[in-house]
Amino acid sequence: MAITIGSRAVNARQNKNIAPIRLELLITVVDKKKADFYADLLQSFDINMQMVVWAKGTAEEKTLEYLGLANNDRAVIFSAVREDKLDTIEQALEEKFASVKGGKGVAFSIPFTSIMGAAAFGFLSNETGISGMFGEENV
Amino acid sequence: MKNANYQMIFCVVNAGFSQVVMEAAKSVGARGGTLIHGRGTANQEAEKRFQIVVQPDKEIVMILVKKEIKDKVLLALNKAVGLETAGQGIAFSVPVDRVVGIAEDVGEDVGEDTKE
Repeated sequence: MAITIGSRAVNARQNKNIAPIRLELLITVVDKKKADFYADLLQSFDINMQMVVWAKGTAEEKTLEYLGLANNDRAVIFSAVREDKLDTIEQALEEKFASVKGGKGVAFSIPFTSIMGAAAFGFLSNETGISGMFGEENV
Repeated sequence: MKNANYQMIFCVVNAGFSQVVMEAAKSVGARGGTLIHGRGTANQEAEKRFQIVVQPDKEIVMILVKKEIKDKVLLALNKAVGLETAGQGIAFSVPVDRVVGIAEDVGEDVGEDTKE
């Protein structure tokens, strides 16, 4: 029996896997002075889009003085990360948080549920040839 | 590490209310937060329709909390800086997949400041 199916379904069948990589938004909060260091570190894991925003920690002055910290200036780094790279990235961050002087921080990730267009997905996941998977109409 | 025990609370309030946010959150077990400045872009038509004025200067407080205290924190925030108050705040939580840099042995207190 002949069944007519659209180009997207044909492409999906040929590729066996229509969405091979999930993306997550990695949020890393570190000391402002270490923002470039961590942004560079993260970029080495094929991350194509990062945003750095200046922020403040909410610890009280008294607590900071007690801990011998000069200020509570922070940087929040938002990075779009492939899920399959997250384990490696976490290990690297954990190691740096523990070993770099003044480099302590917190990082966590939130999964993406949707993304605007195949080209954007290709860019964020650092995958070439993604657009062909979804058919011309979605590129 | 894969860790589904935490949730991130985002609380958007009028400028100057971040301390009220943190006091409310701390009163129910949260400890640290991170403050980002922002500018609101409310729909002017909606402002007229609902007869409210949205102050454009905003503060966004990010608070990482354990899942068990998330509802308590949101309730406390609603009471302290909800839309009925001068803080005109909204707060929401998102599930967090993985967490690095949190010391588990600090009890229920979590957040960036716990690392310092």
